[in-house]
Amino acid sequence: MLSAMFLWLVAIALGALGIRRFFAGYSAAPVGVRTLSAPEYQTASAAAQVLYPEGGAIAASGGSARVALHTDGFVGAQTSGNRILMRLLLVLIEHATLVFPAHGPHGRRRFSALDSEQQLAYLEGWRGSETAARRLVFTSLRAILTMGYFADPEVLRSLGLAPRDIERSVIEADLLWPPIGEHPRSIPFSARDLTGRVEEGRPLGPTGPLHPDFR
Amino acid sequence: MSGGVRVFAEYRRDFEEVCDVVVVGSGPGGAVVARELAAAGKDVILLEEGPPFTPEDFELDGAVSMARTMREGGLRTTGGTIMATMQANALGGGSLVNSAICVRAPEPTLDGWCDEFGLAQTTRADLDPHYQAIEDFLGIAPTPDDVQGPRNLLFRDACNALGYSSEPIARNVRGCRGSGECFTGCRSRAKQSTDISYVPAAVADGARVFTSAQVQRLLMRGSRVWGVAGQIVRPFTGQPSYRFRIQARIVVLAAGCMATPVLLQRSEDFANGSGQVGENLQFHPGVAAMGVFPHETHPQFGATQGYQSLEFVRDGYKLETLWAPPGVFAVRLPGLGHELKKNLSMIPRAAIWDAIATCNRSKGRVRARRRGLDPALTWRLDPKDLTILVEALWRITELFFTAGAERILPGVHGLPDELLSMDEARRIRTRQFRETDFTLAGNHVFSTTRMHGDGRLGVVDEDGRCHDTDNLYIADTGILPRSPSVNPMLTLMALAHRTGQRIAERL
Repeated sequence: MLSAMFLWLVAIALGALGIRRFFAGYSAAPVGVRTLSAPEYQTASAAAQVLYPEGGAIAASGGSARVALHTDGFVGAQTSGNRILMRLLLVLIEHATLVFPAHGPHGRRRFSALDSEQQLAYLEGWRGSETAARRLVFTSLRAILTMGYFADPEVLRSLGLAPRDIERSVIEADLLWPPIGEHPRSIPFSARDLTGRVEEGRPLGPTGPLHPDFR
Repeated sequence: MSGGVRVFAEYRRDFEEVCDVVVVGSGPGGAVVARELAAAGKDVILLEEGPPFTPEDFELDGAVSMARTMREGGLRTTGGTIMATMQANALGGGSLVNSAICVRAPEPTLDGWCDEFGLAQTTRADLDPHYQAIEDFLGIAPTPDDVQGPRNLLFRDACNALGYSSEPIARNVRGCRGSGECFTGCRSRAKQSTDISYVPAAVADGARVFTSAQVQRLLMRGSRVWGVAGQIVRPFTGQPSYRFRIQARIVVLAAGCMATPVLLQRSEDFANGSGQVGENLQFHPGVAAMGVFPHETHPQFGATQGYQSLEFVRDGYKLETLWAPPGVFAVRLPGLGHELKKNLSMIPRAAIWDAIATCNRSKGRVRARRRGLDPALTWRLDPKDLTILVEALWRITELFFTAGAERILPGVHGLPDELLSMDEARRIRTRQFRETDFTLAGNHVFSTTRMHGDGRLGVVDEDGRCHDTDNLYIADTGILPRSPSVNPMLTLMALAHRTGQRIAERL
């Protein structure tokens, strides 16, 4: 009887600790976050800032490039199976400090609660691990965050990689279907609008005007 | 006949249609078959699960583009040896988001197919008229110098300096402006993807095209098929809505090397008397590296893939240039924090060159999952094929340093993050690599419904007709008995051209 009660108390204590570790102390995700939970968003934000800190060779940081928000959108656009895997990836990074603690004091804290040097060293441990599965986890995380970083127009502009404007041509196929989600009634062109390919063959170059979304 | 393209917003109820031939999939295989049959006056219905894209629908953000145009959001991987592989889900299939490379398979490769797979009509001489027909229709031509951009021409110069053969890549483009946006959709409409080439031609000849139409099973009676059934699905979310059935005298599956075997397996394992449906899965695994030059290369300008070298095809790999959305290829760059930023900041002075490898020893399989139509993939890179990839990586570094690169970022575990000289690069040849040291990608897929002269060893004959039934054909890269040694699109289109003609002769 006594031992059963003891086991119950231990289980309750462990449960409380688990709840505290996994859910307590996270600030609410900002408005506009639709898919990630507050803890997942915080993990993505912290990891983005480690990968892309303030300053250095490119001015934009993970925070200023709003990488975590992009990650939220990217995860939301995936199939349900992929969404689960991507969210588990963030949970794994956040809590694997229990198994692979960061160097220094309190190295088993959640990833997002580590100080920035610990976070860097912790992710470096995943990147350079001799265990292929750990490297794969890191590569997956970096892939998701890097795509978000390069979705920021400022990053692309600063590297001279922003897309150029391309004048819209109207070809026969443009008369066959509307933009996705719309009814064919909304096809804005008729046979009189056919242009062939505008400026056919004239190469684009670094002096051309930028795409409107990147100006 | 009056053809047309139906889109998601037009469907209002369940429906049934009847036709001579129903073609499942509008990529390079299905679109060619549909057009050939429509031009021959046959009543054709072309079904495509994905939506048709306009230039306004193309996303320049690589992540969003992948999520919208690729199956499983572009995150599909193999089990066994982990490798990323992408299959498109759009009108035009893979041709919408590939880099338009159109190369005839080398004669020895096709001779090898004939010898090993009991084929009698698939030599280069047999296929040349079909290759020519496709090339004429799409305006396939070598990439001109004025849209090569520096990173492609540096590759040419390096090959010349080393005495390796090289050539501008022949592509299905008209009026390319070198936007480097092949993978996210060609905004300038230069790329002659099948959605704006063969599909409109088929429609002009009377074909009816139903987009957002997901085929879920074949309709069979005894050893014959009499149609297909499925559901209309909402673009991007895949949410199912109305049901449809298409009754046809002949069914052509061109859903892709992954989807076609799944469809057969979900249709009571139809046409699988050979046991080969879903077997023999092969890829062209690729390795790539980034070379950094002392001068600007403006890498975002120029043909996405403008130059290639076939010098080492006999050794199992083809070298080529590459460009992709920066957020996609930057995934391979080393480093963290300021080091990573430094590496990224070198992109304006960089070029990416890659190799695709013929890995005939490395095989896997495609299996239907318990639910849904996404496949379960297993594939294992054979250790001997790994040596091909290692050798290819070595050649890439050799080319980069010959071209004047000051450093190379190989992105391979076990090598330094940066190689600064040929001496350092020699580690590639001395180190024992494991398959997991490489970040592999393989988007050319073959052989899951392979062509074979013997019905006990293959799924289809040389016409693309299933050995087990006389009115079911397959026209996607699944029928390639093994790697074509080069990019497969043109060879698939040539085979599909032949299949279309043979079906037209029958009807």
